[in-house]
Amino acid sequence: MGLLDSIEKYCENHVIKNDAITSFLKEGFPTTKDEEWKYTSLKKIVSDDYVLEEGASDISADEIKKHSLNIGEQIIFINGVLHAKPDIKGLKIEPNVLKNLSYEDPISALNSGLAKNGYSISIDGGVALEKPLEILFLNKYEANSFLQYRNNIIVGENASIKIVENIKNLSNNTVFVNSVTDIDTKKDSFLEINKLQDYSNNERTIDTTNINQEKTSTTTINTLLFGGAFTRNNLNFFQNGVNCESNMNGIVILNNDEVGDNHTYVDHKKENCQSNELYKGIYLGKSKGVFNGKIMVRPDAQKINAFQANNNLLLSDDSSINSKPQLEIYADDVKCSHGCTIGQLDEKALFYLRTRGVSKEDANAILTFAFASEAMDKISIPVLGDRVKSLMEDKLGVNLSI
Amino acid sequence: MLKIKNLKAGIEETKILKGIDLEVNAGEIHAIMGPNGSGKSTLSSVIAGDENYEVESGSIMLNGEDLLEMDPDERAHKGVFLSFQYPVEIPGISVSNFMKAAINEKRKNLGQDPVSAKDLLHKMKEKMELLNMQKGYLSRNMNEGFSGGEKKRNEIFQMAMLEPKLSILDETDSGLDIDALKVVANGVNKLKSKENATIIITHYQRLLNYIVPDFVHVLHDGKIIKSGGKELALELEAKGYEWVIK
Ligand SMILES: Nc1ncnc2c1ncn2[C@@H]1O[C@H](COP(=O)(O)OP(=O)(O)O)[C@@H](O)[C@H]1O
Ligand SMILES: [Mg+2]
Repeated sequence: MGLLDSIEKYCENHVIKNDAITSFLKEGFPTTKDEEWKYTSLKKIVSDDYVLEEGASDISADEIKKHSLNIGEQIIFINGVLHAKPDIKGLKIEPNVLKNLSYEDPISALNSGLAKNGYSISIDGGVALEKPLEILFLNKYEANSFLQYRNNIIVGENASIKIVENIKNLSNNTVFVNSVTDIDTKKDSFLEINKLQDYSNNERTIDTTNINQEKTSTTTINTLLFGGAFTRNNLNFFQNGVNCESNMNGIVILNNDEVGDNHTYVDHKKENCQSNELYKGIYLGKSKGVFNGKIMVRPDAQKINAFQANNNLLLSDDSSINSKPQLEIYADDVKCSHGCTIGQLDEKALFYLRTRGVSKEDANAILTFAFASEAMDKISIPVLGDRVKSLMEDKLGVNLSI
Repeated sequence: MLKIKNLKAGIEETKILKGIDLEVNAGEIHAIMGPNGSGKSTLSSVIAGDENYEVESGSIMLNGEDLLEMDPDERAHKGVFLSFQYPVEIPGISVSNFMKAAINEKRKNLGQDPVSAKDLLHKMKEKMELLNMQKGYLSRNMNEGFSGGEKKRNEIFQMAMLEPKLSILDETDSGLDIDALKVVANGVNKLKSKENATIIITHYQRLLNYIVPDFVHVLHDGKIIKSGGKELALELEAKGYEWVIK
């Protein structure tokens, strides 16, 4: 039947009618004819059947413990429902009320029209969270399910918070998640979000994050993509005030038939702002990567510093990467640099390591780590850094003693 | 220790080594000299196991074992060490992590547990002192942005850490000023023992003032055309290579 039909039927049965869903149903899912989806086809994953009304199983305390990162404070969502939250002064955590949701494209329209769950986090002005906040999302559905979350984060004036998103599908059924997170960072605030995407091969994900920054705010998003049958990340930064800083770092390591697509967009609207972007991609097996980094500098946005780098390592003959920087610059006093590389491991460096007694497998792994190290250095939470290292080791099938 | 017999090797169609015979015993220092392009680096690469070179015929035995049958890492485990003429830059890996990986692979091969952080640091400090190296060096990325002299010193540092049986120093003197040369030579001399052997490859004799060889060989056009004692190096210095090549 396919997902589009299921969505239509669901709307009929529940008598759901709103502008967002009407807009989605008119356009349907994007195809590779759409410039934004040129190298990543949704065709196969939307032709599968999913249920939209999900029956879910309980998740035990042991399972929660097993998947927790233990990095500090923790919010737990089980099957989309808020299960536990910390009690911290100045930090409000509630289920999202899901009203007045905006949308730009069919995928976010679908989310705006039908999203059922999600969180709303706000941190009061002047509050600095001492420990990182882990948002643990555990799902265990009884059938192949299509799920939509809509989240909302507001960081008050001069507030500061670090978040780690940790999402896991614990069932053997396939989940296709379309989630959108809307973020407002007020003046002088600091926000860091780490998206730990250690997905399994029955997870299909479209994750969109819209960040609206007020003046002198700093926002960093670290995307750590370590698996998943299909993952599309959209990061959209809007610099609405002067002196903003937007940072995007990514480590992507995929194997087998995994597909990972990172689309980023920075809209430099005001002067004296900067954006820094560093994505490192490592592809094994038949995995397929896409990187698309768009930087827009509007006429009023003078004295902009925009840096972008996307470096890729293809470790197998059958892996591939499409990397595309897109710069649109309408101001004249702008420093903008971008670079993209695609390559293999350096044979000379491999030989050098092996003459020091290092085995071929370990030499490969060491050089792969060395390749990713610049992006790994951007991870500011030590426990998360250790976790990333061990996930990389798992992916590369080694156990390094360095 | 090392026995090379009638070694012929090259790259694709090009023949570079055209029948090398060389025997090095434990406790000895051999110098191999010769003009640029004579095949000195090729010989060291072939001993270390560089797969870019094809061995057409001949043999290389180390303590009775056939090196040509082994991968480069196995050769290292058997005690072969090459100080590269052009050490490779590896951004993203620090000298100390590199060293840790190498030491632990060696230990794993010997059936030993990984080295403790404390012991490793202690040993690295000791060897750095021996070679007069700066403090910040361990946290720098492997050879990245190193001066020519620093790279060479880094090679000898690794040699000191790994304690090989057979060390091949390929043009270790190039890029070193006279003070650095003395430090490196002093290090090599201190590491010398009755159990290990060293091959020094150079086309100048100045290093041999500080590391005195037992034997000197002249390599020309892929063959050893003359061998002698340490005085041969001085003669070459005075008369030039034309004198032996004729
Ligand atoms: N990787 C290579 N590819 C092609 N030719 C090579 C290669 N390595 C060495 N040669 C050639 O082999 C000869 C010997 O080189 P080399 O061993 O580097 O000499 P030396 O170290 O004595 O200066 C030279 O003519 C050089 O051009
Ligand atoms: Mg040479």
